[in-house]
Amino acid sequence: MFRYSLKSLRANITRFVATSIAIILGIGFLASGLMLTDAVRVGLTGNVEQRYANVDLAVVMRSDSAEMGLLQGVPAEFLAKVKVVDGVDAAAGEMSAVTRVLKDDGTVANLRSMGRNWIPDDKLNPLQLVDGRAPKTDSEVALSRDAAEAADAKIGDEIDLETPIGPRQAKVVGISKFGSSDALDEGGTISFSDSAAHQILNTGTPTFEDIVIRTSEDPALVQRRVAQALPDSVSVRTRGQLVEDATESSLQLISFLRPVLQGFAYLAMFVSGFVIFNTFSVVVTQRYRELALIRAIGGSPKQVRRSLLTEGLGIGVGASAIGIVLGVVLAKGLQIILGRFDLSLPGTGVKITLGTIVLCMIVGTVVTLLSVVVPAFRAGRTKPVEAMRQSAVDNSGTSMLRAVFGGLFLGGGVALLLLNVFYKAVWFFIGPGTLLLFVGLFIGGPLLARLLGRALRLPLSAVGLTGRIAADNVVRNPKRTATTANALVIGLFLVTLVTVSGEALKTSAVDELNKLSSSDFIVVSDSAIAPALVDKIDKVEGVSQTAPVRSMPVTADTGLTTFVSGVDFDRLQQTTGIKVTKGSIDEVLSGNGVAAVDYESVGGGGTSQGVTSRLGEEMTVTGVDGQPIPLRVVALFELKLDSMFLGDVVSPETFKRIAGDKPVTQMFVRVEPGQANAVGPRLDKAIRGYTSVEIMPGNFIGEIVGKVFDFLIGAVNALLAMSVIVALVGIVNTMTLAIFERRSELGLVRALGMTRSQVATMVRLEAVLMGVMGTIIGMAAGVFLSWVLISTIDDLEIGLSFNWARVGLIFLVGLLVGVLASIIPARRATRLDMLDAIRSE
Amino acid sequence: MSFEPQFPATPPQAPGQATYQATNWAAQVLNGYKIYGSGENEVRALNGVTVGFESGRFTAIMGPSGSGKSTLMQCAAGLDKLSSGDAIIGEVNISRLNEKALTLLRRERVGFIFQQFNLLPVLNAQENILFPLTLAGRQPDQAWMDQVIDTVGLRDRLSHKPSELSGGQQQRVAVARALVERPQIIFADEPTGNLDSHSSAEILAFMRSAVTNFGQTVVMVTHDPAAAAYASRVLFLADGQIVDELMDPTRDSVLERMRTLGN
Repeated sequence: MFRYSLKSLRANITRFVATSIAIILGIGFLASGLMLTDAVRVGLTGNVEQRYANVDLAVVMRSDSAEMGLLQGVPAEFLAKVKVVDGVDAAAGEMSAVTRVLKDDGTVANLRSMGRNWIPDDKLNPLQLVDGRAPKTDSEVALSRDAAEAADAKIGDEIDLETPIGPRQAKVVGISKFGSSDALDEGGTISFSDSAAHQILNTGTPTFEDIVIRTSEDPALVQRRVAQALPDSVSVRTRGQLVEDATESSLQLISFLRPVLQGFAYLAMFVSGFVIFNTFSVVVTQRYRELALIRAIGGSPKQVRRSLLTEGLGIGVGASAIGIVLGVVLAKGLQIILGRFDLSLPGTGVKITLGTIVLCMIVGTVVTLLSVVVPAFRAGRTKPVEAMRQSAVDNSGTSMLRAVFGGLFLGGGVALLLLNVFYKAVWFFIGPGTLLLFVGLFIGGPLLARLLGRALRLPLSAVGLTGRIAADNVVRNPKRTATTANALVIGLFLVTLVTVSGEALKTSAVDELNKLSSSDFIVVSDSAIAPALVDKIDKVEGVSQTAPVRSMPVTADTGLTTFVSGVDFDRLQQTTGIKVTKGSIDEVLSGNGVAAVDYESVGGGGTSQGVTSRLGEEMTVTGVDGQPIPLRVVALFELKLDSMFLGDVVSPETFKRIAGDKPVTQMFVRVEPGQANAVGPRLDKAIRGYTSVEIMPGNFIGEIVGKVFDFLIGAVNALLAMSVIVALVGIVNTMTLAIFERRSELGLVRALGMTRSQVATMVRLEAVLMGVMGTIIGMAAGVFLSWVLISTIDDLEIGLSFNWARVGLIFLVGLLVGVLASIIPARRATRLDMLDAIRSE
Repeated sequence: MSFEPQFPATPPQAPGQATYQATNWAAQVLNGYKIYGSGENEVRALNGVTVGFESGRFTAIMGPSGSGKSTLMQCAAGLDKLSSGDAIIGEVNISRLNEKALTLLRRERVGFIFQQFNLLPVLNAQENILFPLTLAGRQPDQAWMDQVIDTVGLRDRLSHKPSELSGGQQQRVAVARALVERPQIIFADEPTGNLDSHSSAEILAFMRSAVTNFGQTVVMVTHDPAAAAYASRVLFLADGQIVDELMDPTRDSVLERMRTLGN
């Protein structure tokens, strides 16, 4: 029997092409996801390990205090303290900020290059010189190999830079590399001397990102000594801990991404299951006489069954193997494409692990075998007498039982989901309700296919006889049609659900956020806005008022750390329109009064993350001169988007006493009425050359949230596309098999005078009709469930704002799937040899 | 076998002469060859056949298996193309037509009755009968259609699907379909091959009455002498050539002639 299986597999190989493609696509998708995430993981850890290769210890900000403010780093004076600790062989502070090199024509060579300070200690410095020397004076730099290439700069060249403090000129004195690669940073590295780095990268603030330490003693011992020498606001980490810290956040992304990608791949495999099931069902029907013959000459049902399962096994194993190869190609291709768009993933090459191969082989084979089980059992039940029967076309209809059960499940599902809508927030029923709905759809599918076929018959009859016959052909085997359409139903249901409910959530979220925005533009910097730039922005044409803000985290005597901002409250009100809800700001303007965000005004209540917010609350902070400064909350202002950047507001004078001379870190900008569109580009022009400064529109959070939603909807839909493609393959498959079955009929109509193009139209309409059926059912289920979901979370007053254009687009996609799926079958049908087709077998 | 036909089985014209119409041939094959394969494997299904089918006549083509009778019919009807030679329907040389024109010619001028797969399962009897007219976008001549339907006795079966009809009824639908478009010529390929003797006799009687009563032209391929006896002229084919001809045959005369040929 095994040889029979192999022989029939080989004889019918074309029939299994579509089945194999379905598996190959699914497995290819799964494999590429696994390989890419593996590559990213290896790439990330590899880079970090190389970077800290000779670093034994590092002094970093404690993570909780680092979260409080952007400006804080490890104070520069700590370096001297570290250097004298017993056992420290060498120590150096690190700094970095976005810095760009301009090409001769004035354009930016690479947007994402970084400026760093050159660490004099060869071992601690992750970079090595390949040519020239290290930068010494404030106007010298070393470029990484790729940065030099991108800017076409050589040693001795004068180059133009964009830096956090604006345009600068520098002389290239060295070329660097990072281990075996060109640069530590993706876009290239520009190295400055220590003093230049403090001035340029840190805009004068005497801090480091971290201090790296080399020791020849036991690192644990030195770690303790260094920690004792420094205050609690910093912590000392070993190399192992550093690598862990640095990779943790990226690995979190991977550990999230991996199951998500896998989930979509499994969905595609599930859809493939329908295609496989369909193929084998048809094959069993077509081979009915052959199978009956085997039974008649003494084959047991078990042997027949096993022969089918063996064929399934062969296809599963073969297609999975090809799928893995496709996965390698996909992963490689994706890396190249992303690289083209300047989005290259960390890690190069495709990492193929044994685990990936084993998992893909198992998944592909098991899905195939599971899908073959039912057809195999049906084959086993073939009666020997069937061998003498004539035709072998499965025209089995739909049974009453199917109607009853399908209806029950469907009704039950809809009822459970409606419960959610009418008795709000009964989330519990969503899962079971959806499950029931789909079980009902699948059981009742053949009936639905027949009903839809009937309904669509009338409009199709308008196309003429070909349309009518196409409609009738679709419902000739409702079970097969339903299975084919169901593959598409799954994909389009999810696409519709994600698009419609995602769109509704997005619209309501963005609307809510936009209500909270107030100033027209916000100028922000992750380091500082240079004083010259503050003046420049203030004078931009069309700007009516600006409010420059200086901020820093301050620890009060109560032990709480609060975020304090110094800003002229009058100007703040003029630019943002923030209203005072309680108390008076008089004492804020001229004294030690504090204005705090009124969280109670929006029902938040109390304090959030140690932020004082009760009128009359008092605290004492230490000023730069060491004198205590008593502060008292005298006013509360409303919570708006802009307020969130502020924390506790004091007058600029009070802020200076607390924090000394701090650079401006953000500015609120109000423009003349109706000038927003004109001022935006002018502001962009004003900040040109300052790398760390960004202009954001006042409603930027709304914009960002909207974009995030768009991205998520787009990304999920892109991932679902794989399932839709597999469903497309399924339609091609069903149609091709149907044409093979009906070749005599097609020959007859050709003989009777149907032209080739009419035959093609007929077949094409049939495929399109299947696509439309799947689309209609899938979209109906998707829209319904979106409505249920959104109605259930109605307390948030989310309007179900249907974006009909998008819904229409999804329908067009479904239609397109049908049209694409019809190309091959239509061509096949017209190329059938008419005489072959009429001749009886 | 070197047989000279006793009667001229072929029209007197040589190919290419413009006098086809004069002799009222509904269809002709002139010096037709149909060759499959090449070299050692060459098979000549038709080996220089020249034959004409007169209008208003019921012609039967007989011959043993592999004699080329089905090939001759298919080439004459424009279902297949000759390797060389000319096939002419009415005054049109179909050997020179392209695929599309040929299809339209079949639709307009030729009727078919096959042994099986004669009907479209998704259409009911009436729709099947009207299928060629619908394809051509033509309205049926209602009186003529009524007459045809009553002749084949299908009045009460018009709304039935083929699966609800017996084999004989299905073939009657096929006969009605061939008649209703009033084609220049009807080709029937073993129309009774799948039927019992009673149904066979019915179908053959319809075909004959179509010829005698309505002046229809019918060409039938068969291996059944009883069926051939319904025709007014029988052509015998062997090895791709016409080897004999019999006018006004009876079952016995056909059997007798076949026995002679067999020797």
